[in-house]
Amino acid sequence: MKTGTKLIIIAAVAIVVLISVFVASSWQTSTIIQTTTPTQPTTHMLSGSIDGAGATFLNPQMQAWASKFYEITGGRIKINYQSIGSGAGQAKFREGILDFAGSDPPLKSDIYNEFKGKGGIIQFPVIIGTIVIVHNIPTVESEKLKLTGEVVAKIYLGEIMYWDDPAIKALNPELNLPHEKIIAVHRSDGSGTTRVFTAYLAKVSQDWKSKVGSDFTVAWPVDQLGNGVGGKGNEGVSAAVQQNLYSIGYVETAYAYEVGLKTALIQNKDGNYVLPTKEAVESASKALVRILPKADEDWSNIFPDETVDPPGKDSYPITSFSFVILRQAYDNPVKVAILKEFFQWVLTEGQKNENIVVGYDPLPPEVAMIGLEGLKLLKTV
Amino acid sequence: MSLAVTSSPIFSRDGLSFIFKSTWNPVKEDYGILPALLGTLITSALAISISTPLAISLAVFSAEIIPTRFRGLINNISDLMASLPSVIYGLWGLYVLAPILYQHVMNPLHQYLGFIPLFSTKPIPTNLFTAGVLLAIMIVPFASSVIREAYNAVPYYLKEAAYSLGMTKWEAIKTLLGYIKSAIFAGMFLALGRAMGETMAVAMVVGNTFTFPRSLFDMGYTISSLIANQFPNAEAYNYMIPALYGGAFLLFIVGLIINIVGLYWIKKVMIKS
Repeated sequence: MKTGTKLIIIAAVAIVVLISVFVASSWQTSTIIQTTTPTQPTTHMLSGSIDGAGATFLNPQMQAWASKFYEITGGRIKINYQSIGSGAGQAKFREGILDFAGSDPPLKSDIYNEFKGKGGIIQFPVIIGTIVIVHNIPTVESEKLKLTGEVVAKIYLGEIMYWDDPAIKALNPELNLPHEKIIAVHRSDGSGTTRVFTAYLAKVSQDWKSKVGSDFTVAWPVDQLGNGVGGKGNEGVSAAVQQNLYSIGYVETAYAYEVGLKTALIQNKDGNYVLPTKEAVESASKALVRILPKADEDWSNIFPDETVDPPGKDSYPITSFSFVILRQAYDNPVKVAILKEFFQWVLTEGQKNENIVVGYDPLPPEVAMIGLEGLKLLKTV
Repeated sequence: MSLAVTSSPIFSRDGLSFIFKSTWNPVKEDYGILPALLGTLITSALAISISTPLAISLAVFSAEIIPTRFRGLINNISDLMASLPSVIYGLWGLYVLAPILYQHVMNPLHQYLGFIPLFSTKPIPTNLFTAGVLLAIMIVPFASSVIREAYNAVPYYLKEAAYSLGMTKWEAIKTLLGYIKSAIFAGMFLALGRAMGETMAVAMVVGNTFTFPRSLFDMGYTISSLIANQFPNAEAYNYMIPALYGGAFLLFIVGLIINIVGLYWIKKVMIKS
């Protein structure tokens, strides 16, 4: 028993040391980044903190913004953001616990209307993310396989079962495609990534729209054939793709590059095969500007069902926004001032390359304008 | 209580069909828990049947066979393994165990014994079988520490009596194990409870597809991994939270039944001996 307690103590000490080393090292790197661009604080009187929570996808970027903003305001303004998931963030925001919510999808119609009766909300995109199709065919290199949305939908519907299916061969006459079963990997946890990916499939395939639909989690037809695998989180999906030869999957772009998965080209609306490059994302979001609503309007019918597969010869088709949701009226004037100042900074300075975390794409000014206009509606009751 | 209350909307909407349906379709808010319930039962049954002999032999090994000075070390390591966070087991299972099992166990089994329905599905590294084996590895130290304590608590005169009768070591061990039968059952039931409730580790290796399992190599779901996967965004739906609570409620009931049966069984065994 004595050696038992000793071991436990040693283990505990080791863990504490490890954690402190980790914290210290991450602290150092963040201060280095922060000192590169000294910016003058805009207000001098304001101080306090605001609380937000929601989308996991938004979390790394939001933390980077929060710590940078904390730095440039000289520690007067603190933004707390917890990544608890879009659904939970929206629910807690509805209960009035949070000052703002981060969310992959905007509010659903009925909830939007509920808020409208209670002083109204504003919701606007703050950052762009992309979803990339990945595969694990040993004989095919990365960025070589060409796919159309229709074909991807058919794979996940279970209608295309082999890599040498005529439909895939027709798109890739120069590739050596094996007669192997396609294992279709998808997210098993409810996720905004799945919501956007299935919205894309629903837009390009009538069959998908009528048989499956689009949501955080869907009933994947390919699972019923035993050819589907669910992975928990981006890391689960990428592990499943790596371990299963001849698999296909979809992950957030940053993740695919981090892990080194093979990516596939996907055909956009204009018929070109594209990857989620900076230009392709910019082209997509510029094409969307004219259909995007105002910050105080209902976005649920527009995003993501209308925003996927935008026109434009370079546009990347599976592009997604992450949203911030605010009430229009707060009872504390300090909160209103802080929210305004922080999100104005996020939508202007925050979109500059040095403030964007790797794997995200900044909003073009036209899209950032939606939020900047919306912030003018904030008021104290 | 709160499980029953929170899950009541799904039962009042769907009644018992919630238990016997096998769909999980949030788009249509159509939920049925059967595949997950079966997945839980299959993986824990597999885990228990693999881990019981291992746990008993580990306990006997550490109490009887290895030299005394290494005993503390072995026991400490096994206790440490029992207290490792399950997410560590999960990651290890996903990146190390699953590929090994796939190459060296599942593929040969399917190739040579594929005609047996249990092994009929062409395997994929993450499936019910992997989850069961991972669970077995997780619960062995847990069960074996209970068995070991009981084995060490056997009065010394019994051991001496066994040897003085001229029994070999092997026969003595068998006799002593018979003496602590109820402790073995208790240890295995504790371990079963842990296997059924295990969340994170299983969620990473079970395959997570909501299908009716037909063989051990099918991918599946368990109730607790379903909850781990679906809870974060459940609040976006009207019926998903009741459905998940309903699953937890069923898990609770099944656990209760198994425990009652187990207790009854132990009692019978005790009376007999």
